[in-house]
Amino acid sequence: MSETLAYVPLFIKATGTTIWLSWLALLIGAVGGTAIALLRTSRLWPLRVVALLYTEAFRSVPILIVLFFAYFGAPVMLDIDVSPFLAATAALALHASANMSEVVRGGIESVGRGQWEAALASGMRMRQVMRYIVAPQALRVILPPSVGIYITVLKESSLASIIGYFELTRTGLMVRETNGGGFGPLLVLGVIYFLISYGISLCGAALERRYAVGGASTDAVVGGMA
Amino acid sequence: MNQAPILELEDVVKRFGPRTILDGISLAVVPGEIVCFIGPSGTGKSTLLRCVNGLEDMQGGHIRFEGEEVHARGKRIIEVRKRIGMIFQQFNLYPHLTALENVMLAPVVVHGEKRATVEERARALFERVRLAHRINAYPAHLSGGEQQRVAIARALATNPHMLMFDEPTSALDPETVGEVLAVMRDLALEGRTMLVVTHEMRFAAEVGTRMVFMDGGRIVEEGGPREMLARPRTERAQQFLRAIQK
Repeated sequence: MSETLAYVPLFIKATGTTIWLSWLALLIGAVGGTAIALLRTSRLWPLRVVALLYTEAFRSVPILIVLFFAYFGAPVMLDIDVSPFLAATAALALHASANMSEVVRGGIESVGRGQWEAALASGMRMRQVMRYIVAPQALRVILPPSVGIYITVLKESSLASIIGYFELTRTGLMVRETNGGGFGPLLVLGVIYFLISYGISLCGAALERRYAVGGASTDAVVGGMA
Repeated sequence: MNQAPILELEDVVKRFGPRTILDGISLAVVPGEIVCFIGPSGTGKSTLLRCVNGLEDMQGGHIRFEGEEVHARGKRIIEVRKRIGMIFQQFNLYPHLTALENVMLAPVVVHGEKRATVEERARALFERVRLAHRINAYPAHLSGGEQQRVAIARALATNPHMLMFDEPTSALDPETVGEVLAVMRDLALEGRTMLVVTHEMRFAAEVGTRMVFMDGGRIVEEGGPREMLARPRTERAQQFLRAIQK
């Protein structure tokens, strides 16, 4: 265990890398997922079909295969350089965007038709309805499952170790090898992942409490989950 | 009443798939009229209101509001909607906003008015609908009657030229119907132009200037509310009025 403690700075740095990678993927996934969700709720059916195929494809294919495609496949097929970081970010973000799109769609659809009609009847344009009526209510529905998605991305980011990216898992495994095996580094890894996940869960719960106003949020959340 | 009509419907047809919801509706409404639409459910009364502000598109005919042609898919529909206040059966308040914010949203966001001006007007409106004490409540904490009165205040906040009520009391408990009708009666006394789809015959007889009986997507009979309720001319209207009086 004492040998492991000597690697604390390395673990801290690797933890930073993992958080950066997972947040970046989540952020891209959230933006992409929102775009896909808007396509899913579009009036034009070809857009809906494209969005549906995207979502189903990336939800069904294991992330490891997407990662290998990005890292080994893309350089060959597209003749570009792909760093482990880029491949990992892309794979995680594609996966996250597919999951986020479903969550965002649930959020948008949780806002009843009657509210759309009231807003339109008052003379609002679509984007005003989205901004003032749909988005604030959808966010409350989206927040809780988003925490779950982040935790998934965080854990999936450990797969980047397979293509040689020095995030947390890879670092822990390397420390373990350097010290001739042992249980210590793995325990440290487990504890760090737990702390990040649990921290995010607590933040999410705090945000939920903050945005739960008007007694309507519970209904909206229940509606969105159904 | 030789005034120019504020609203003109000309042979309006609305189809939904194989079903014809509105089968050639023509009607002219002059400013200050209170037109009450009655008839069995599913005869297109609500659909008619929703065509007027373009919430539904139509398959034939013309609607002109203040001389302007209404097209559900056109850009100009927004200008028409800005001048018509609508009150829904299910209130449709925004649950994430307080009563006051519900009322202030459209004037600020759609009409670009200053918050301070709007807030002053909104507070006065809450006095009028007798809800000054509930101004900061969220819709979930209001009773049905209170929600509907907030919805009326919301519709009034933009100073509309016409109000449309789509079965405003049908979703209310019997004991709260009266408070909503009282507010509507006040509005009628101000000489506002109102289209009201309702099953409240007493209210219609009292404040309505005209009654329109619809059945099967057509106007079957129209006239003064009191005369029509007392002596309906068509057999269809007689049947309907007999049935609801039981």
